Amino acid sequence: MLRNRFAIFTALALLAIILSACAPAAASSQNPPSTPAAGTPSGSTSNASTAAPVSVQINGAGATFPLPLYTEWTYAYQYVDPSVAINYQGIGSGGGKKAIIDNTVDFAGSDSLVSNDEYAAGKDLQMYPAVAGAVVVIYNISGLTPNDPALILDRPTLVGIYNATINQWNDPAILALNPGLKDKLPAKPITVVHRSDGSGTTEIFTKALTSFSADWKAGGAASVEWPVDKAGNGVGGKGNPGVAAAVQNTPESLGYVELDYALANKIPYSQMVNKAGKTVAATGDTLLSAMNDFASTFTDKLTNTIVDASGDNSWPIAGYTYYVLHTTSMTDCVKAQKLLEYIKWTLTDTAAAKKAADLGYAVLPDAVRQQVLTKLGEVTCNGSPVLK
Amino acid sequence: MKNKLLHEQKGILPIRLQRAFRHGDRPWYFLQFLMGLAVLALLITIGAMLWQQSAAARASFGANFFLPTSNPSWDPVNDHFQAWPFIYGTLITSFVALAVALPLGLGIAIFLAELCPPWLRSPLGTLVELLAAIPSVVYGLWGIFVFLPAVVAPFGKFLGTSLGQLPGLQIFLGGIMSASGSSRLAAALILAIMIVPTIAAVSRDVLLAIPANQREAAYALGATPWETIGQILLPAGSSGILGAVILGLGRALGETMAVTMVIGNSVDSTLTLLRPGYTMSSIIANEFAEAVNQLHSQALIEVALLLFGITLLLNGSARFLIWQVTRRMPTGAN
Repeated sequence: MLRNRFAIFTALALLAIILSACAPAAASSQNPPSTPAAGTPSGSTSNASTAAPVSVQINGAGATFPLPLYTEWTYAYQYVDPSVAINYQGIGSGGGKKAIIDNTVDFAGSDSLVSNDEYAAGKDLQMYPAVAGAVVVIYNISGLTPNDPALILDRPTLVGIYNATINQWNDPAILALNPGLKDKLPAKPITVVHRSDGSGTTEIFTKALTSFSADWKAGGAASVEWPVDKAGNGVGGKGNPGVAAAVQNTPESLGYVELDYALANKIPYSQMVNKAGKTVAATGDTLLSAMNDFASTFTDKLTNTIVDASGDNSWPIAGYTYYVLHTTSMTDCVKAQKLLEYIKWTLTDTAAAKKAADLGYAVLPDAVRQQVLTKLGEVTCNGSPVLK
Repeated sequence: MKNKLLHEQKGILPIRLQRAFRHGDRPWYFLQFLMGLAVLALLITIGAMLWQQSAAARASFGANFFLPTSNPSWDPVNDHFQAWPFIYGTLITSFVALAVALPLGLGIAIFLAELCPPWLRSPLGTLVELLAAIPSVVYGLWGIFVFLPAVVAPFGKFLGTSLGQLPGLQIFLGGIMSASGSSRLAAALILAIMIVPTIAAVSRDVLLAIPANQREAAYALGATPWETIGQILLPAGSSGILGAVILGLGRALGETMAVTMVIGNSVDSTLTLLRPGYTMSSIIANEFAEAVNQLHSQALIEVALLLFGITLLLNGSARFLIWQVTRRMPTGAN
């Protein structure tokens, strides 16, 4: 009989293990995000959540390009509205779009546009620009010192470098643009670094190249077939850190990263001669100028490309990252309202704008913001508008 | 006492069933049986899922997808996919890694098991096992910042100018070493470092498991340590050592993170070790998250299917090899 009891006990113990394996997943989804951002007092998280227990849990997933900013925003928003916990996972634009179509998340983040097939599958999807980001060209030329002026590239030259038709640093095209560096550009081959992982950064960059010159045949997408790889002087690095490490470790190399990454790591990056023929550096102002140039060309789905802007002061390699939402099929109206309030907060609040600027993203100019807010106002839940 | 009386009890269950379940043996047996089946079910499910999810890619590209080609193309924009550079990258890095790691690992194992002074054996053995526990991303970081610039780049340059000039080896070791050090060679050497501890630790245990009387017999017949190791111990442990090689090869084939960080991720049409390349696991890890069009993600799933198939095939043939070896051995140690 003792043995028998032991068998029952074992079965019960197994059952308990199986059940307990399922339980935490359900329980933990009620907690606020557990990774506090650096520089914020960590003790206050528990205070906030004990004072007003979280009642709404909002899940988002998608693009990694805005992930650093979304992490900051969702963390800060706990203090704006303690009853909401927002959780955003950077699983990639493709994964985010799939998740919003399958209704496994409440909102998605995406750098790439929702395709017609995806609109058909997701029924009522709508995109909303969140912020814009700039992509810059970083370089490592062994003869240069921090006192030297920044490298200047123009649009055809950048395409030439990524097409491997310009493959020496002392190519006449580069020399002509950089009289100040004439004696310092070596007669050595350029190692060209690109992202190896599919990414919104690559999409912005290759779309810019497509617009810069008809010579760029590889197209504009999150991953493309790089002509430099075929020519034998291309190297792929994983993520911004991978590209930056490859450039910093390889003398006479060049690559592209997000502006915020170059800023945070103090990597020298080039200036560009834009469509208007003016030499510009990537800053919040030049990014804003690029957005304003295209403010009137939004589609009905609020999508737009802002590469190769025509203004005198516009940075030519830039792009929006988007929220993707269901506009009519949300059924939990409290959640829908909290979600839209959060998105509105990210678009309008000055503290949110400051966080974006600190991280190297540019918030929307007024002309664009108004269009986004109008579209947000059209979202309905069970037939009635969500935002009053 | 109570057990004896069980026959007379007015049980709800028939006596036979009561007996079968009395000690919990039968339920326990079924539980274990199910767990055993789960492995098989998992394998079949994975294979079937990969097969089904890659249907459109298989239909579009057919055998051209994986056949060797001198001008490979992986173009997500124009939906043209050929996996040959990745297949080649996976195979060449794994086999070069194995060729470097096997003598090294076996040497460590022989030293630890047979020649090492007793006071050194345990600390050295622990260190070898610790190496196996280092996460691969750490190997990758160390590779990028230390190993590539300090060792691989100069070593590759040397190979290119010496052995790479020989007519037969030119195709594998020729060309100009990539300046950053990111290359198939870098991936192979990092993999070699990663699988040395596996091979060394398992082979050591295999050698230690050989009965002491075999050694004593060899020495009694006047064999030197060298002869004992080479003619008695290694043949006796050969099946176990092959098992260690399989474990190492398995890790090399599937390793993703460290390889992605050092191989250069370039769809390259040459065969040389000195150029950046790409592996099957790297392309999946790199592109799957942002593979937004359907054919692109299907092509990646087909790469996964191929990797799955290659791993099964290599493992199967290695098992066959072991079976061949052990069958011919009359003593059958291990």
